[in-house]
Amino acid sequence: MRRRDFVRAILAAGAAPKILLSQQAAAPPPPPAPVPWLLGLNSKTPMPHVEAAEQVAAAELRFFSPQQMATLTRLSEVLMPPVGEKPGAVQAQTPMFLDFLIGNSPEERRRVYSKGLDWLNTESTKKFNADFAKLTDAQAGELLKPWLRTWLNDHPPTEEHADFVNIAHDDIRTATVNSREWFAAPQVGAEPRTEEELYWSPIQPDLSPLSSSSASVPPHVQAVPPSGHPMPSYKR
Amino acid sequence: MLNETYDVLIIGSGHSGGMAAKILTEYGIRCIILNAGPVADVTRHAERKPAYELPYRGFRPPGQIEHVFQSNGFNANVWVDEREVPYTFEPDRPFNWVRVRLFGGRSLFWSRQSFRLSDYEFKAKSHDGFGEDWPISHADLAPYYSRVEGILRVMGAQDGVPQLPNGNFIPDDAPWTLALQKFIAVAKPRGIPVCKQRRAQGRDGLASSVNLLLPDAESTGKLTSIANAVVRELTVDKNTGLPNGCNFVDRLTHREMSVKARVVVLAAGTLESTRILLNSNLANSSGLVGRYLMDQVYGPGVLASVPEARKGNINAWMGSAAIVPRFRNITSKTDKFLRGYAINTTASVDPVPARNFATYGAELQRKLDEYNGSGFYMTIMGEVLGRYENHVRIDKDRKDAWGIPVLHVDTKYTDNEFNMAKDAVETACELADAAGFEVLSKNDKPNPPGYSIHEVGTCRMGDDPKKSVLNKFSQSHDHKNLFVVDGAQFASAGWQNPTTTILALSMRASEYLAGEMLRQNI
Repeated sequence: MRRRDFVRAILAAGAAPKILLSQQAAAPPPPPAPVPWLLGLNSKTPMPHVEAAEQVAAAELRFFSPQQMATLTRLSEVLMPPVGEKPGAVQAQTPMFLDFLIGNSPEERRRVYSKGLDWLNTESTKKFNADFAKLTDAQAGELLKPWLRTWLNDHPPTEEHADFVNIAHDDIRTATVNSREWFAAPQVGAEPRTEEELYWSPIQPDLSPLSSSSASVPPHVQAVPPSGHPMPSYKR
Repeated sequence: MLNETYDVLIIGSGHSGGMAAKILTEYGIRCIILNAGPVADVTRHAERKPAYELPYRGFRPPGQIEHVFQSNGFNANVWVDEREVPYTFEPDRPFNWVRVRLFGGRSLFWSRQSFRLSDYEFKAKSHDGFGEDWPISHADLAPYYSRVEGILRVMGAQDGVPQLPNGNFIPDDAPWTLALQKFIAVAKPRGIPVCKQRRAQGRDGLASSVNLLLPDAESTGKLTSIANAVVRELTVDKNTGLPNGCNFVDRLTHREMSVKARVVVLAAGTLESTRILLNSNLANSSGLVGRYLMDQVYGPGVLASVPEARKGNINAWMGSAAIVPRFRNITSKTDKFLRGYAINTTASVDPVPARNFATYGAELQRKLDEYNGSGFYMTIMGEVLGRYENHVRIDKDRKDAWGIPVLHVDTKYTDNEFNMAKDAVETACELADAAGFEVLSKNDKPNPPGYSIHEVGTCRMGDDPKKSVLNKFSQSHDHKNLFVVDGAQFASAGWQNPTTTILALSMRASEYLAGEMLRQNI
């Protein structure tokens, strides 16, 4: 039995219904382990409990300037305030998340945000003689509403300024709805739900893009291991 | 084992390669399949998670798959990483190349819409004078379509529309929901047919090479498969000049290896098969390998809302889907464009996305509540014309993670495609208005070419070796033991999702090949 299979078998046994366990007359002898210490990883082994770093640790501003971050924070607050039981974008730590996401994104996307935030603050100064971060909801709305558009997936407005306002609105909403805070709040009516889907982890990742000397990296898997389930076969 | 020569080397394990393996091994022919990626095992590699546990809250990881618009943070790791296998294009001519290298390829993730091409596609030149006719007609392929539909378990109705031939379907007798009834009532007087969707049910909810084709091949005992085998080039017998196997690189160890076979079947997906041929300098006496790249116009569409379905009145009104097959240039003729488009029509019970309302905050939430489950989607699938200048070639300056020269894609849409998109959106809006639906958003700009994941052509089939790469049995005009059985062989794109046709062509080519091998002609 391969190591992974063995671990899974043990985990599966832990999850099996009690009725199955009760049918066992006596405790079977422990299965032979490929490595003796693996027997310690059984269903009763307490697993470490960990927190998401975002919940307990601080992150530094890496991409936006403090001025841009102040604008983005106010923008997030205005576009996505707390509604009903659901948290707003600021409670969901969306601005700092966007600093991380946009900062790692391709140049084009970064430019939309940097230019857009600077433009918004300039407009605010021109019109209200104050930073955008200091505007009231009504004043901010006066600046933003003329730029709101309706649009289909993958086709945000291409017009300058409208592109930033609508893309940022969409990103702020997605990041907020997909936050732990939103997920934890009670669901009422047609409020959007945190996406919950099948997540695929990297499948036998190749290390070559990360390392120029990849040929010297020992592969962790030499051949395809047997599948955890048999291939189905159907009568025709 | 090391110096074993197989009967047939199949490169690629998606629908086309899986079908070749099934047919050939069932004839007792010994096959070896090489697949560039690993086997995906859902018990091992996938787990249900909420978005906040993902590295980017459900956003796709920046830089990894910028051209896979379909991707998100959940499925990011199933697509080919663009940093690992790059491809190039001019900045003003973007191309979305959407690839999966897992065993089974894109057959694991396709939308399962299963349409036949009609003679409006196979004999398109005879209808409007543009391009080339296929060397086959619907009648040639019909028996294979029927068998493919049986394997895929396609559900559909015998709509009897000439541009969408009937097939071997599990009958769909479900009544139309009220929104679709209203839509049909306004479409019919305008000469626009509305048909039931035709979708592969597969088995256990999956209609993939991995569960419908490869198990049959494996059970013959005649199939050998290798995962993580990235093909560098085909090899050639010095005496005969015929392909006799390939050199490949192990994806993980980068070890260079090779296999030998009497026949080579390329099934790596349209552009990967073409890339292998170009890197091997084979099958190109016509100079047309890589030429006539086509796909379908996706992206233009309309989202309307059905007023009667709002405020929770969803069940009677919403929930069915229809296909409006091409209706332009069938019985009448438009001077705005050649060929035509289909409209995918869905009365969705899902929430209407927030971007369809030009408002925010609490007011936006009120809209979302009100419009929930009332979305009526009409999206285009438009035929792209095959043009010589739309092509792929090898980019000599750029190599992938295994040192294999990458592909340069040079393609763009023309007025024919743009006019088609405009017409589709105007028509969809007209239908929505007539039905009393409220148009929320519309878009007439096509997504970048490639987005449809229906890229076809670049090794097109034909009777004339000077004007085509393959003959009517998907066999190279130049090398009798070389076949290309995926989308590369298409002579025109049609508006139809290509999978069913790819499967039927691969089945037909494989039976022809088996016959020729048994008669010792190959």
